[in-house]
Amino acid sequence: MAVGEIFWLLFQIVRRVPLVRKNPELTIRQMVAIGVSSIPLLFVTSLFTGAVAAVQAEYQFRNFIPDKFIGTAICKMVLIELGPILTALVLAGRVGSALAAEIGSMKGKEELAAFEALNLDPLRYLALPRFLAFFFMVPCLSILSSFLAIIGGWFVCVIALDITTYTYYTGLQYMFQNMDLFSGIIKSFAFGVIIFLLGYYHGLNAGEGAKGVGNATMKTVVSACVSLLIFDFFIALLMFS
Amino acid sequence: MPNVDINPQDVMIQLKHLRKVFGRQEVLRDVNLDIRRGETMVVIGQSGGGKSVILKHMIGLLQPSAGEVTIDNIVISTSEFFDTRTIRKKMGMVFQMGALFDSMSTGENIAFALREHNPQLTEEQIQNIVHEKLELINLRAEFASKMPAELSGGMRKRVALARAIALNPEVILYDEPTTGLDPITSDVINDLILDMQRKLHVTSVVVTHDMASAFKVADRIAMLYNGHIIQVGTVDEIKNTTNPYVKQFITGQRKLPSGPGIDAPASED
Repeated sequence: MAVGEIFWLLFQIVRRVPLVRKNPELTIRQMVAIGVSSIPLLFVTSLFTGAVAAVQAEYQFRNFIPDKFIGTAICKMVLIELGPILTALVLAGRVGSALAAEIGSMKGKEELAAFEALNLDPLRYLALPRFLAFFFMVPCLSILSSFLAIIGGWFVCVIALDITTYTYYTGLQYMFQNMDLFSGIIKSFAFGVIIFLLGYYHGLNAGEGAKGVGNATMKTVVSACVSLLIFDFFIALLMFS
Repeated sequence: MPNVDINPQDVMIQLKHLRKVFGRQEVLRDVNLDIRRGETMVVIGQSGGGKSVILKHMIGLLQPSAGEVTIDNIVISTSEFFDTRTIRKKMGMVFQMGALFDSMSTGENIAFALREHNPQLTEEQIQNIVHEKLELINLRAEFASKMPAELSGGMRKRVALARAIALNPEVILYDEPTTGLDPITSDVINDLILDMQRKLHVTSVVVTHDMASAFKVADRIAMLYNGHIIQVGTVDEIKNTTNPYVKQFITGQRKLPSGPGIDAPASED
């Protein structure tokens, strides 16, 4: 039932995509809200993810595998998996839950009904700008996150692991394939859609009052995390098996 | 209780055998009501009795489980048919808590629908209309830049009214316009409702349980009880009613005057 409603919601929003040119400012505003304001949090999580990846790789490779492969391992891990999925999980917690709370609260305060009473389509004015913002900003943030994680890994290698910048950089380039980068970006588009749909859907179905909105945000985070990981598994199976 | 003596051309809003069920709860059983063009009809009744549900049927936010809603001689909704988009252009609604868009300034709230429905208007014309509507509700032009969070409850309702009249509707629906306001601010809102009727010649439907407000603004009053309209009448007719339920409600008595065949309505406490 819920899955059918979510796909119907997606269909209704996609139908309205051509209307975005009439109010581009609404989408830009959402892109700023979702994208720019998430950068500080991503900055910290991504740098430390790269740093941890470097420490773990060095520990596993010690005495068996040359140091330059640490850069290779970090590059592969970050571009294919860690960058996109960690970004998506962080954004599900930060902006997915905020979306559910915002829509749930608007529903409770009759703002959604006010849109309809003014003969304005809430899907066009509320859902579409947020959908496009999630769709485009999650991949952008994912690329940024991957870049920051690689920087984090480099920093730890140079400062703490006695690996030179040249060695790290050589490893990054070694065995690099464009597919690594593209697979992460393609997944991120889908991750953005998943986070948006679950946030918007749970917001629309939020119960009354603070408890209802709280439940909607909790359901969004839980369902988004589970859906993201399951989807990530199937896309990995499809692309790399 | 349809008003059979009214000329159909004079009827702006007509509810015929309106029934609404939410899950297992039957909120409206058989509501019949004719609202004349240009009059102010006040619907009174207990909290949770379905007054707002009636209002939401009129503007097409809810579809009836049975019966039909007619606006300006056009059937806009039945249990099978639902097309309210065109008719909404004739209507404006003031929600109970204002329902202002929190992310927009006061001016943006008023201008938003105006801009979307009238793309031919220039930004200067839109700003002029916004200031004109603010003036109508006795607020200065400076209020256009304030955010809803900066406004008091009474001001929020006034801005909600300005937003509702931005598109020059023929009908204004007010959902409990004085709820949560002090008596003086309530009276300001009552005066605004009267002003709107006088200046804009609109048909108004006010849902309230504030009897002081109802008696002040109403041309006629309809009492909703147990999912039915049990009496429709002028202010004097309602004040002098012999219907025990209406009498109990308007005098604020907790219990009905005892008498044969009278069942007390459900008390909420």
